[in-house]
Amino acid sequence: MTKKRLLKFGGIVLVLAAMLFGCWKLHSEITITVGVYAGSYWNTPNGNCYQIFDDAISSFEAAHPGIFVEYVNGIPTDFYSEWLAEGILKGEEPDLFLVMPEDIELFASSGILKPLDTMMAEDPDFSPSPYYEPCLQAGKFGGTQYALPYESVPTIMFVNKTLLQQNGISMPENNWTWGDFYRICRRITKPEKHQFGVYGYHWLHAVYSNGAALFSGDGKSCYLADQRVQDAITFSKHLDAMNQGYTVTARDFDLGNVAFRPFLFSEYRAYQPYPWRVKKYSGFEWDCVCMPAGYEGDNTSELHTMLLGISARTRHKKAVWELAKLLSIDKDVQKELYVYSHGISPVRSVAEDDEILLKMREDIPGGGSFDGKVIRRIMDTAVVVPHFDKYEQALRMAESAVLEKSDTQMLAAQREIDIFLNGS
Amino acid sequence: MEKEKRLAQLLALMSALNFSVILYYALVPWITTRRICASFSGYDFLAFARQIPPRPWIVPLLAIGQYFVLCVLSYAKLKWITEKFMHRLFVCFLELLLCAGIIISLGFYYSGIALVVLSDLVHYVRNSFYRLCFIAALVFMFAFGQYEVIFPFARGIAFNAYLSYYNPVVKGILSGAESFMASMNILLFTVYMILLFTGQRAENTRIKKLNDKLNQANERLRDYAVNMENMTEMRERNRLAREIHDTLGHTLTGIIMGADAALVVFDALPGEAKKRIELIAQTARDGLNDVRRSINALRPDAIEKNSLDEALKTMFSNFHLTTSAQIHYTQNAGELRFASDEEDTIYRIVQEGMTNAVRHGHATEISITITRNENMLTIYVDDNGVGCPSVSEGFGLRHMKERLDMLGGLLVCGNREGKDGSRGFYLLANFPVREREGMHSD
Repeated sequence: MTKKRLLKFGGIVLVLAAMLFGCWKLHSEITITVGVYAGSYWNTPNGNCYQIFDDAISSFEAAHPGIFVEYVNGIPTDFYSEWLAEGILKGEEPDLFLVMPEDIELFASSGILKPLDTMMAEDPDFSPSPYYEPCLQAGKFGGTQYALPYESVPTIMFVNKTLLQQNGISMPENNWTWGDFYRICRRITKPEKHQFGVYGYHWLHAVYSNGAALFSGDGKSCYLADQRVQDAITFSKHLDAMNQGYTVTARDFDLGNVAFRPFLFSEYRAYQPYPWRVKKYSGFEWDCVCMPAGYEGDNTSELHTMLLGISARTRHKKAVWELAKLLSIDKDVQKELYVYSHGISPVRSVAEDDEILLKMREDIPGGGSFDGKVIRRIMDTAVVVPHFDKYEQALRMAESAVLEKSDTQMLAAQREIDIFLNGS
Repeated sequence: MEKEKRLAQLLALMSALNFSVILYYALVPWITTRRICASFSGYDFLAFARQIPPRPWIVPLLAIGQYFVLCVLSYAKLKWITEKFMHRLFVCFLELLLCAGIIISLGFYYSGIALVVLSDLVHYVRNSFYRLCFIAALVFMFAFGQYEVIFPFARGIAFNAYLSYYNPVVKGILSGAESFMASMNILLFTVYMILLFTGQRAENTRIKKLNDKLNQANERLRDYAVNMENMTEMRERNRLAREIHDTLGHTLTGIIMGADAALVVFDALPGEAKKRIELIAQTARDGLNDVRRSINALRPDAIEKNSLDEALKTMFSNFHLTTSAQIHYTQNAGELRFASDEEDTIYRIVQEGMTNAVRHGHATEISITITRNENMLTIYVDDNGVGCPSVSEGFGLRHMKERLDMLGGLLVCGNREGKDGSRGFYLLANFPVREREGMHSD
């Protein structure tokens, strides 16, 4: 009888101990999942896309014993958003994931992204001041911070140096204006010699550098009839008019027949170093400058920022926040962007680090034109184009209005777009 | 009983129907999610819905789990009947919570479950205030527990968003099944309620009929009792007449005849006359004994066996047991030992007084006071009944009067109206008691 009782007691103690151990284990050992894509979002060749994450994860795991970080390998960039959406629908989304610039609005509004404002305010180790303001702005939706910036890429202007030299024109400065831009194009453009000023300069580029925007931040109003927008449209129409009806193509630029072409900064980073630069454009020397400033604007360019979002359903809020912070703001991690990726760090001190910029310029014959000051100017003045539900459709409406309607009809077109934006 | 069985069957049918509805609402989003992901249109779907769904496997687990508990509770309620108010309230509250839980875990796609719980609880809750509360809560859940109604505050993907994934034919079939099940649920609920209320009305009429019958039977019983009393009285008179005829008549006849004979021989044979007179005395004595014996035969059993005081107390407790009227007895007359005819009278007056108080006055409280002043014994019976509009002597009052007359006493009775508004009937009897010494001989 006593033996039986002892056995029973022992069994109960064992079960309790197992349960306690299980609870302890559950709390002591946690696994965080991270969503990353393979390759580069910026369409540049990227051999070792996971290196930054691998390094960051090993340093994170070393600093936080008991926390393990996992990610799924080999999700291609163009499938990444779909993969993430399926994860969300199935309730299996990662705790922390990269959010592409065009997805931030959808994910924030559908509620899968955790609002970070309180965590940012409560964390004594965190301050938003190291970031460039536009980069942080990219992670905001409706005034709330939903994601931290991870990597930024502004739009810059590619210049065919050889063509300029042939025409006796010096390389423009980084603070050049529409006037300079127009004058150079005027001198270069000779349709009879199949030589043109610019390819791919959209009137929206002009709008941003004229201190204006096409849509309000909340996506409820359109500013198509705004004077600055109108000026930008007129300016880009003037540039087009020089070509006398000929449509310039990308191939014209590749062949060295066009002086300017707006490009992403990542392309510049990817193709500027030696073997790549020859491979990209073998027929001419090239470099980049800031976008030309409009009458009322600055040398402003559009900024694309890759973001880091935390799932609203994560069970390890604190640990995930720590990891997000590490990836977003840690200098060592961010410095690796310059080795394994082609963007600009959203962290001011890393982006303007002399050592890094020096290393970047070493590869460029003639030293290149991007020093810390220029980078700061680009990043501080850059605009983040708001993405909202009806963005694509509204943009198409605006484009067709610019193409088809006269200046006097713009107000009516703007009203039409406004009605569309505010309709259900 | 037949109706109850039919109600239970109807409830079971509703439960089965709702199980399939829950299954439908839990599984369609799950299966659709899988199909959406398999066809790589997750991003487009999310962009269309702009809400995040709960983890798909959680919905069936929670909804079906809670529904199972609800069914078990509903069944157990029939099996283990508890009468404790708090227990019943707790069960109802639990069902209410489960109902809300199911509606929430189904993402507010379906609120018809509230009707099942309403059918289940409507005749289980007896307190009408709580019943009203529960009905209000469940009707509220039914009306507002729908995605379309609470849309501005709703989280999660609308059910229609899932349906819109399918082609028109499948979508039509699915939404057709959906509205069919919802209408069936409402139809079953309506039938259940109709059956329940018609059943309740029939029950009420049946009870009323039975009650009338019972009243009639009581009336007849009362008449019968009165008849019985009259008959008993008649029989008793006959018996008395016979007794008087047999004993007193016989004795007196003997005495008269003996006296006549004694008179005849008084002068001639004084010795013989003396003998005769002795015989007469003997006959008279025998006659007296006979009379005593017959009177003894008429005495109440109780007094025969015990003292009057004990007999009265026994009668009070018996009376209290049979009529549940409260008896207040006050005795200020010292030791209650009187001649047997006096004891009988006291006993009968008290008995008759109490019987009248309850039978005619419907009294619930009766106070009886017996006092003695010198030789005058007073019995006062007083009640809190409705009194008697016109005092007729049929109620045994004549009997009392007769008895009291024989003892040289008086009877007064009538309706009493107190200053405090209390009412009732009172009865006052008094008579002079004979000296006890003289009575000791019997």
